[in-house]
Amino acid sequence: MAGHGAQEVEHTLSIGDKIIGHIANSGVLIPLHIGGFDISITKHVVMLWISAALLITVALKASSRYRKSELPIPTGFSNAFEYVVDFVRTGILIPNLGPKHALTWGPLVLSFFFLIVTMNFLGLIPIFSYLHDVHGHGGSTATGNFNLTVALAIITFLSIIIAGSKEHGFMGHWKNMVPGNVPKPVLLILIPIEILGMFVRPFALTMRLAANMSAGHIAMLAIFAPIFLLHNVYVGIGSVAMNVGITFLEIIVCIVQAYVFTLLSTVFIGQAIHPHH
Amino acid sequence: MENLMNFDTGLMFWTWLTFLIVLVVLGAKAWKPMIEALEKREEFIRESLEEAKAARHEAEKVAAEYDEMIAKARHEVQEIVATGKVTAERIKEDILKDASAKAGSLLKQAETQISLEKEKAIAEIKTQIVELSIFAAEKIIGKSLNQDDNKKLVNDALQQFGKS
Repeated sequence: MAGHGAQEVEHTLSIGDKIIGHIANSGVLIPLHIGGFDISITKHVVMLWISAALLITVALKASSRYRKSELPIPTGFSNAFEYVVDFVRTGILIPNLGPKHALTWGPLVLSFFFLIVTMNFLGLIPIFSYLHDVHGHGGSTATGNFNLTVALAIITFLSIIIAGSKEHGFMGHWKNMVPGNVPKPVLLILIPIEILGMFVRPFALTMRLAANMSAGHIAMLAIFAPIFLLHNVYVGIGSVAMNVGITFLEIIVCIVQAYVFTLLSTVFIGQAIHPHH
Repeated sequence: MENLMNFDTGLMFWTWLTFLIVLVVLGAKAWKPMIEALEKREEFIRESLEEAKAARHEAEKVAAEYDEMIAKARHEVQEIVATGKVTAERIKEDILKDASAKAGSLLKQAETQISLEKEKAIAEIKTQIVELSIFAAEKIIGKSLNQDDNKKLVNDALQQFGKS
């Protein structure tokens, strides 16, 4: 009895490892080192490239008539694409930055949204499970890797500083972070909090996106796990039905998380441009 | 587990590079032209709406002016007709007054004429009566008084005749 229990614990652990292995990045597919830096190509790098290539191709095609004409009349796909661009513009850019800065920060914000949403959706396609060495044999999502999301969050972090410095001067930006009309002792608490907040914001962005994009995969794998734990193929009927539902939920999560990352980045940039203190 | 949480500088580097490429290429070729086009279209729609509003306002003003003009014209026409009626009435009265005056004078003239004719006729009848009376008296008396006597007699008779 005790031996059986131990075996089960071991089995469960191995399932846990399997799940983590599924959502993890692959090992090095093509080793690459430049100046002491390891920039080897892994599965998530390939997925990032595919997403970027797909996005550039589609966006260039959809926006071709905007480069040719002053007042284009979009139809079909261009119209649908324009709808999303206008959604980001009127829903995220203008409310947070104002119409004047929409054109300055529009390219960054739109690149965030479209690249993240493309990578999120690419992670839903399970064919990338074939792209691995010994690790990462699952169809994981590139945006589920915190190394990628931290890189994006650092771009946000730098953009906040650049936006504030552009609007108020380099020193002005830092002065805007603390309110002017508070007693000095309060500043002793406030300054560390603001400095902490400066780093917490991109950290939260990093973790929110990575965790959300991995969570769906973990949930799906966990729902599949009873098939192998119970050695019963009929459990699969329930598992598949539930996972179909989760896949639909993930479609929403893909859009929502890209929206949240973009929106919060824009809100932070907007706070630097229009300080409320 | 190791692979999920390890620090992967390669992926970070490629993320930055790829994002930069996407930002530069699409920023110049897609996002900026699209945002500009959307702004221009918004501006165009706003201007068009304002123009339409101004045009409607203008049309309403013109219509009001036309209405005013028509009302004014109608009023003028009424005035002209009223003045015409008054003038016509006056002319009619003048004509009637003239006519009645003329008729009155004509009547008077005719009356005068008639009374003149009447007197003339009476005088003639008188003469003839005298002559006839003389003639008859001559016949009766068979003798002729001299002319003067006769005349005197007849005249006396006539005077008595006229008195009676």
